[in-house]
Amino acid sequence: MPVEFVKEKYNGAINTIEIGNGAKCVKIGGETTLPFLFEEGAMPNQPVIALEVLDTESPDQAIACGGRLLCVRLASIHPDNGNRPADEVIASLGLIFKKCGLPLIIVGCGDAEKDNEVLPKVSQAFKGENFLFGIATQNNYKTLAATCLADGHSIVAESPIDINIAKQLNILITDMGFDPARIVMHPTTTSLGYGMEYVYSIMERGRLAAFLGDKMLSMPFVLFVGQEVWKTKEAKDSIAQGVNWEIATAVSMLQAGGDLIIMRDPAAAKSVMKYIEMVMKK
Amino acid sequence: MQEFTVKFTPQNKLVRVPKGTDLLSAAIKAGIVLAASCGGVGLCGKCRIVVEKGTFKSEASPLVGEEDRKNGIVLACETIVEGDLEVRIPKESLGLHEKISGATEEFTKGVVLEKEKSIKYLPLVRKIYVELTAPTADNSTSDLERIYDALAEKIDHVHISTKVASLKHLDELLRDSDYKVTAVIAYNDDSVEILTIEPGDTSKANFGFAFDIGTTTVAGQLIDLNTKNILGTRIAFNKQASYGSDVITRIIYASEPEGLKKLNEAVMENINDIIGDLTDACKINLSDVYGLVMAGNMTMMHLLLKIDPSNIRKSPYVPTSVVFQNINAAELGVETNPKGTVAFAPGVTTYIGGDIVSGVLACGLAESDEMSLLADIGTNGEIVLGTKDWMIGAAASAGPAFEGSGLSHGMKAVRGAIEKVRISKSLDVEIGTIGNDAPKGICGSGYIDLLCQMLKAGVIGKDGRINRDIKSKRVRKSDVNYEFVVSFKSESAIGRDIVIQEDDIENLKRSKAAIYSAIIALLNKVEKNINEVNKIYIAGGFGNYLNIENSIFIGLLPDLKRDVYEFIGNSSLAGARMSLISHEAFEKMSTIYKNITYMDLSSEPNYMDEYVAALFFPHTDLGRFPSARS
Repeated sequence: MPVEFVKEKYNGAINTIEIGNGAKCVKIGGETTLPFLFEEGAMPNQPVIALEVLDTESPDQAIACGGRLLCVRLASIHPDNGNRPADEVIASLGLIFKKCGLPLIIVGCGDAEKDNEVLPKVSQAFKGENFLFGIATQNNYKTLAATCLADGHSIVAESPIDINIAKQLNILITDMGFDPARIVMHPTTTSLGYGMEYVYSIMERGRLAAFLGDKMLSMPFVLFVGQEVWKTKEAKDSIAQGVNWEIATAVSMLQAGGDLIIMRDPAAAKSVMKYIEMVMKK
Repeated sequence: MQEFTVKFTPQNKLVRVPKGTDLLSAAIKAGIVLAASCGGVGLCGKCRIVVEKGTFKSEASPLVGEEDRKNGIVLACETIVEGDLEVRIPKESLGLHEKISGATEEFTKGVVLEKEKSIKYLPLVRKIYVELTAPTADNSTSDLERIYDALAEKIDHVHISTKVASLKHLDELLRDSDYKVTAVIAYNDDSVEILTIEPGDTSKANFGFAFDIGTTTVAGQLIDLNTKNILGTRIAFNKQASYGSDVITRIIYASEPEGLKKLNEAVMENINDIIGDLTDACKINLSDVYGLVMAGNMTMMHLLLKIDPSNIRKSPYVPTSVVFQNINAAELGVETNPKGTVAFAPGVTTYIGGDIVSGVLACGLAESDEMSLLADIGTNGEIVLGTKDWMIGAAASAGPAFEGSGLSHGMKAVRGAIEKVRISKSLDVEIGTIGNDAPKGICGSGYIDLLCQMLKAGVIGKDGRINRDIKSKRVRKSDVNYEFVVSFKSESAIGRDIVIQEDDIENLKRSKAAIYSAIIALLNKVEKNINEVNKIYIAGGFGNYLNIENSIFIGLLPDLKRDVYEFIGNSSLAGARMSLISHEAFEKMSTIYKNITYMDLSSEPNYMDEYVAALFFPHTDLGRFPSARS
């Protein structure tokens, strides 16, 4: 007797977000199923890997890797790390953008005050480019959201592994007139061996809520895998081990529902891109 | 040890204290109870005083603003006596002994009264006038039996008992009063006891007191047991507050030497003040007061009865007892007729005390076929859900925010408290205070209105954060955080601006989330939907007024049809009063406490999730509050 597999059908879908313009525009999200369950729904857009570089680093290696997006972290604007002014950073970003031609994901340094000072200027300088800016948090979202809204960018909304706070922040940002389809959620990333299953379960819960019709949780997920993995002692012990660690973490996050994975190591990124090609073959 | 004299004005009280004593302790010694919700550790900033003369040492507290500091305001708990002092206590730092005028109305309206009308009149204490036949050679029945026989004709109770102590001078009394006497009888469990025999007919004067002993407030009512009429109500801040505002600090204090004794004395003083005050006001003789019923949470009952409460605080949180037998008035220390009797409302567990059982009795939840819910919003938010066949209860640690405690300008629902607020688009604030006095602070119902209006006017976002972009003299940054001015110094009665700070909003948000999520968690536990609840009774010290619409708007209460809700005021006091008037009602509490199943929220896996989801105005799941959207 043939076995009939139980199939879930959902009514909700994840929002599709476009980053960049024209031919280089990258779409993320749009799923109507949990990751890679093509029998149950569709994944119209492949998950995307973006390499992360610091604003003071050469982007060459990252560009060579073949990603469709590039993430630039403005580490040098931090008061304890150079305290670079906005105009210098804008100039560096201009060069990087020219060189790679890819839509950018621009992430601040983490110092709320400095980010609120620099990010609006950067946003304005790239007005209309439809970039993705981060990071908005529960305690600091207004400045970034207002400027992204004015300049036509999308935004990363971060919450501390908490589905309710994730949703609250999405509501707060949308209340400012922000299009929910321009928000990408960062549910907090962790690394293999550091409580990943908790992040996994939070992401899964968010996804299921979205598929059941919760519009305030229907945003794609971004995960900063590189940043987390290269903090671990395992990665610091040996580069080869770190590369494998980053691959394993990234793959797990894809299986949890990650739409956009930010990675640090080009070799690891290439492996994960290959993995995506493989699993997307139906 | 060197001693100094401290003089407190305007009370004009003098006290001798050793050098190094803090002024809060000195004030307590002088019999002045200052507001000190933190228990005198410099955290609440309420015990503000001015040292007019003398040498002292004081820590500069960040809780006292710069302007106030210039005016000589210091915190009593942070100020050390180093010489003879003269200290002035501003009115707002007292906050005790405040009375609600016309409070009787508050407790007699609505469902409670309806319920009371239908209870069987059978008061805890009855006075029965009997005329006995004098003994003769043919009729040699004893004096006491003679009384029993006479009583048997008037009451249908068969088991009557009398303590030997009451017999000592009975013979004399009977003969002196020509065998015309009044028997004062009281229910005690299943039997009836003669408390005393009074000469002549005194049956006209039979009074009793109902008390609600709360962590934050003590409320008492004087009842005419012959007519069931409420003669007056008094509410005072629990004097134990000087030893800490919450039960935990008090339990810890109770284990210090003399601690239990001091806590007991503090609350007894509250009770006796209320008794004295009301009997005075109604010109009633204290010796005509024989019956008292007390309802309170478990810790309060332990402290009242001088039972060590320390295990209430320690896992697995077990009280010494949940049921307490009647005791003699003199033994408890209440200043009524010393032969009077005191009965106590039974509790369920550490977290659901006699106050809640009393409240369940008062609202009639335990007699209804349809499912109803009682939410008592006090220092803890206790919720009971059920029908006459089953009941389940939980306690949410809501904190005393809605009682006006722990907030920068919070106060009880007493005269001068802001209880209604309207904010216009241009941020003009219209306030209503209890008694139409100049505002002194904000009470629970005022805060509910205020939050709702601030949300509507865009002063705060759904996360409770004050909108920094607003250009208005009402929105400003204080020393510590952002605040909104509700009433300017020029209009207020305290010589300072009355404000709500972001921390206060956070506090209130947590309180409302704890209560809302406890309601939902209880329903989830019994797999019921909120729409199946037929009636929701809201009890608590909100004074005369609670705006249900606004409570829903901020997410304190579920978004249901408004007529589902009924605000019943202090239900613990109402239940105590009913038990005083009707022994049958008192007996019902024995069934109620046994029928309530306690649910521990902290061991419910989904409670925390529900709670965090409720930390938003009105709620993270906006779909649950359709009426807040429009």
